[in-house]
Amino acid sequence: MIMEKIAELFIILILVSVVLNVSSPFIKFAIKLYSFQSLMLAFYILMGAVHFNSINLYGSFVITVIFKVILIPYFLFKTLKKVKMDKEIDMYIGIPEAVVFAGSLTLLSNLIAQKIIKTGITFGSFVFTISLATFLIGAMLMITRKTLFSQIIGFLTIDNAIFLAANSITHGMPLLVELGVLFDLFVSILILSILILNLRRNFAV
Amino acid sequence: MYELILILPAAALIVSIFADVLWMSYLQLAVSVLVFCAVAAIALSFNSVTVFLGGFFFADYINLVILITVSTLELFVAFYSFGYVRTEIAGGISKRKFKFYYFWKNLFVFSMMVSILSNNLGIYWTGLEATTLATALLVSFNRTKESFEATWKYVIMCSVGIAIGLFAIVILYFTTSQVYGESLRSLSFINIMQAGAKLDKNFLMLAFLLALVGFGTKVGFAPMHNWLPDAHSQGPSPVSALLSGVLLNTALLGILRFYQINGVAGIYYPRYFLIGFGFFTILVSAFSVIKQTDYKRLFAFSSMENMGIIALGFGIGGIAVIGSLLQIFFHALNKGLLFLSSGNVLAATHERRIDKIRSLSKNFPVTALVLLFGVMGISGMPPFAMFLGEIYIMTGVFRSNILLGFLVFILLVFIFIGLFGKILKMYMGNTDNEAGEELKSGKKAHKEINEGAIHPFMVYVPLILLLLSSLLLFYIPSPFLNIVKSASAEFGGRIIF
Repeated sequence: MIMEKIAELFIILILVSVVLNVSSPFIKFAIKLYSFQSLMLAFYILMGAVHFNSINLYGSFVITVIFKVILIPYFLFKTLKKVKMDKEIDMYIGIPEAVVFAGSLTLLSNLIAQKIIKTGITFGSFVFTISLATFLIGAMLMITRKTLFSQIIGFLTIDNAIFLAANSITHGMPLLVELGVLFDLFVSILILSILILNLRRNFAV
Repeated sequence: MYELILILPAAALIVSIFADVLWMSYLQLAVSVLVFCAVAAIALSFNSVTVFLGGFFFADYINLVILITVSTLELFVAFYSFGYVRTEIAGGISKRKFKFYYFWKNLFVFSMMVSILSNNLGIYWTGLEATTLATALLVSFNRTKESFEATWKYVIMCSVGIAIGLFAIVILYFTTSQVYGESLRSLSFINIMQAGAKLDKNFLMLAFLLALVGFGTKVGFAPMHNWLPDAHSQGPSPVSALLSGVLLNTALLGILRFYQINGVAGIYYPRYFLIGFGFFTILVSAFSVIKQTDYKRLFAFSSMENMGIIALGFGIGGIAVIGSLLQIFFHALNKGLLFLSSGNVLAATHERRIDKIRSLSKNFPVTALVLLFGVMGISGMPPFAMFLGEIYIMTGVFRSNILLGFLVFILLVFIFIGLFGKILKMYMGNTDNEAGEELKSGKKAHKEINEGAIHPFMVYVPLILLLLSSLLLFYIPSPFLNIVKSASAEFGGRIIF
């Protein structure tokens, strides 16, 4: 019971970090938030691992920490340092409207999750609600912000949401698949960083 | 034998890091011929579903069709690349840049093979995302602003699309884990097909929809297509041929797998989504083709249209499925020859715009002819093989709904007019007018712009493809026809000859 409460705390912190991301225009802060969000995801997986005593989930915890908490933010920081960008300037809708929008997306995903999942799975449909909300807010970030970095952050948020969903309705994907997915994610961040560097250096986008 | 298809590109990938480019191009020929021979040997002796490499990979009739398509087009592209590398290096591009060309191209082919042959849906996903990453730096090969922007759009849109596809796989995994428990077996395609009717229907439907939107982004279905024309037109021509001809089919395979699972579970309405997306894709590409000014973009929209037709065929079912499977193979060959021959024009003139190029028939006699007949072929005109695929699909569509058939037919005529009118202008035209003068007084004016400037392999590979495409209308090898028949039987298709 107490474990369930702690796991729910981690989940809520994920949603809080995403909404904070919507409300802040600073890119450095956004990368830090992403790292924090991934750490919370990793802790959630760890809670599951302790609860079910599953080796698969322990492995999943380790690779999530390595890739999502350490490696990807490290490379994003490195790229950010080189291109010297600090603030998101171009937004289609302002920050207050975006936050209100994020709130309504959370409500919407609660409605959808109630419809889809009738029986409680693992820690109940609560986690699935949060993962749907994270998914939708991540997509909103990608659509409403124009800077290349914000698009990467939105993409990573979407990816975290899918990992959360995988860990909420099942006990995580098989380790081999998870490793492949994370490695692909990591390489795609590297390639996007190379593209940002090239675009900024040669053409000043 | 099966392992060879995966090992050879992987070996070429590793060697290409160390080898010299010109030497590597010889090796690439050997590798591509060997892969083609391996696939041909498999196709000739294939009689049932075969599992290999510890159950992670398998071959059945459906992925065998796509495997044959990939290896055939790859063979021609390898020969074309042989000439392409030499021509571009003679034109002043450094050798070092081309070293990575072979590296990324082999990685691309390798991950495509992994994707096609995978039995495990998780591995399929990993391979498909790897193809996006491997082609990213090939699309931005020319290092211009347009190519970097096209790559950005390509990587971001496809990554997000495929992430939605991962969501579909997660939901499918949840559904199957109630039958098999949480293990790798729950993602194994063969096991999922065996579980069939025991699976939860609502979740399967949801998984199919997410897969259709997610992998559909990579196939280039209509509302999610805007990365496609940019990415396909910016890469080097051999890469464009592979992207348009076979990568789209690899992504389509993912949707087809989910479609098959739904079919086994007894859910029949996913077909209406395939029909809807297919029709909408044809509609959008028909209106886009007319206003294009860049010939490589024109062909990119034409591949979008063909993917729409193929999806429509799979959705209609019956005889149209056979048409779609044939179309997958024929479209790859025909689109390959279009991109390769237009690559000759691009390599010699360095000009992408249609209105800047006139009287090709004078300076590029062979290429211009191939281009003209290739456009006829891609629109489904009789002396070329795509006629066969398209006639089967259209028969199926007309039988199921006359109004839909009529609409699709009108759109196909639209596309034909759009493509043919533009290419005919490039073929004939008059060099004495303003555009011709501009071309002559351009920076390449001192050099004679004609076919002599390019390697003979580049001239004759598209010609052989054209002849092959024409020959296939009259004679399809019976082993291939048997594979297509058996594959269509898995979608409930019947053959009437």
